[in-house]
Amino acid sequence: MNKVITINLGGNAYQLEEGGYDALRAYLETAAARLQGNPDRDEIVSDIERAIAEKFRALLASHKTVVVTKEVAAVLAEMGPIEADSGEAADSGASSASGHGAAGEERAAWRGGTPRRLYRIHEGAMIAGVCNGIAAYVNVDPTLVRLAFVILTMLWGTGLLVYLVMAFVVPEARSPEEKAAASGNPSTAQEFIRRAKEGYYEAMKGFPDRNARREWKRRFKQDIRANADQWRHNWHCYWAEHAPFHPGMGFALPLLSLLHGAAKVLWICALISLLATGAVFGLALSANVPVWVAALLLFIAYGILACPLKVARRACYRDLGRPRWAWSFVFLLDAVVWLAVVAALLWLAVHYFPELREAVRSIPSLAHQAADDSRAWWKGK
Amino acid sequence: MSVNEKFSAIRKGLLEFLLLQIIAAEKVYVADILKQLSATEFATQEGTLYPLLSKMRREGLLDYEWKESEAGPPRKYYELTAKGREQLRETLEYWNKINGTVKNLGQK
Repeated sequence: MNKVITINLGGNAYQLEEGGYDALRAYLETAAARLQGNPDRDEIVSDIERAIAEKFRALLASHKTVVVTKEVAAVLAEMGPIEADSGEAADSGASSASGHGAAGEERAAWRGGTPRRLYRIHEGAMIAGVCNGIAAYVNVDPTLVRLAFVILTMLWGTGLLVYLVMAFVVPEARSPEEKAAASGNPSTAQEFIRRAKEGYYEAMKGFPDRNARREWKRRFKQDIRANADQWRHNWHCYWAEHAPFHPGMGFALPLLSLLHGAAKVLWICALISLLATGAVFGLALSANVPVWVAALLLFIAYGILACPLKVARRACYRDLGRPRWAWSFVFLLDAVVWLAVVAALLWLAVHYFPELREAVRSIPSLAHQAADDSRAWWKGK
Repeated sequence: MSVNEKFSAIRKGLLEFLLLQIIAAEKVYVADILKQLSATEFATQEGTLYPLLSKMRREGLLDYEWKESEAGPPRKYYELTAKGREQLRETLEYWNKINGTVKNLGQK
């Protein structure tokens, strides 16, 4: 007896033996990995899914409803390995060609249409167009985004903070090209919505089988997550490409690391002092704010402080370019500066904040206590 | 590199040309293309064909339309664009020229 898994290929449900399902999934994952960087990746993968679906259909009949593992393997062998066409190699060449204008357009063409960018959109905006821009970027109703921001604002004002930062940081879409890029052409978000519209997931929803539904949910979550990753990736790429840094800024790296390190040490010190004394650098919390909320706020503040530094460092890495020895030199310098800063700041902190010194001294006893507690708990169980 | 490997490189380079020729004759979908190629030394698999077709579409050589099939998911039927026809014509011309060169060179 073999376990059967129901899957959705090109909008139709098929039942595969578990081994066949694993093989199919591995095949599709390899396909997607090999096509990494191909602008039509999603389309090719769905083409392949459809082709496999057709082959499965040919195997089934009224008295035979399950595709067995051997058949799946045969179908996959018939499909053959996915060959990424050699033309893709030119992509890196195109993007390393410097200059804007023609080269930029060519690159856009390579990725298949305009790459989607995050812009603020003024048309129909309420305040600065941030929500509007995000809505266009992820292709949802702007009202939903606004609602999300309002809810986030009610949660410790995060929404407001994020909004203000984005209003500053995100450029406004002015030219028609920028406006087109703001709502973008194919991207994973668009692809995801297109699939959803095609009933890619609809078929799954109707399944009475609990396992199938769980599988559907898993796919859905996976897609959402992939979407978020893509978003984050776009965001970083965008900043790395457009941050106002010049070539040769590689030597700003130690400075940036210094600032980044300082921010990190500051946040760790603040956290320690918060946990040890209930106050951040003498700034006492009001009694009704729980400590974990304060810690979360600290973390958010650190994130906001560190983000531009991280992005700038990334831009520096990009600008470093060819010579290998320069890299290792800068990294060495970077590491030394970083360590020095951490050591100096720790020393200063321990020297000038008596409560921190106390906290550091109490660490061993705290650890002992924690160990005792957990042992007691374990025995009690 | 064995002789066979050398041939496989040649076949790979010519595949795009052959696709242009097959698609120029009539609207086809991938299974048709595979069937036509399977009888020749250019027998290919979907795994090679789909990425190549999508690259050619991106270059504006061909286009497709969706057609419902009586069984299974809808199919993509491919056809050549004007640019694709132009490219086919140029490639044919070039092919004939090369052919002539290959035959004539070295003959006294």
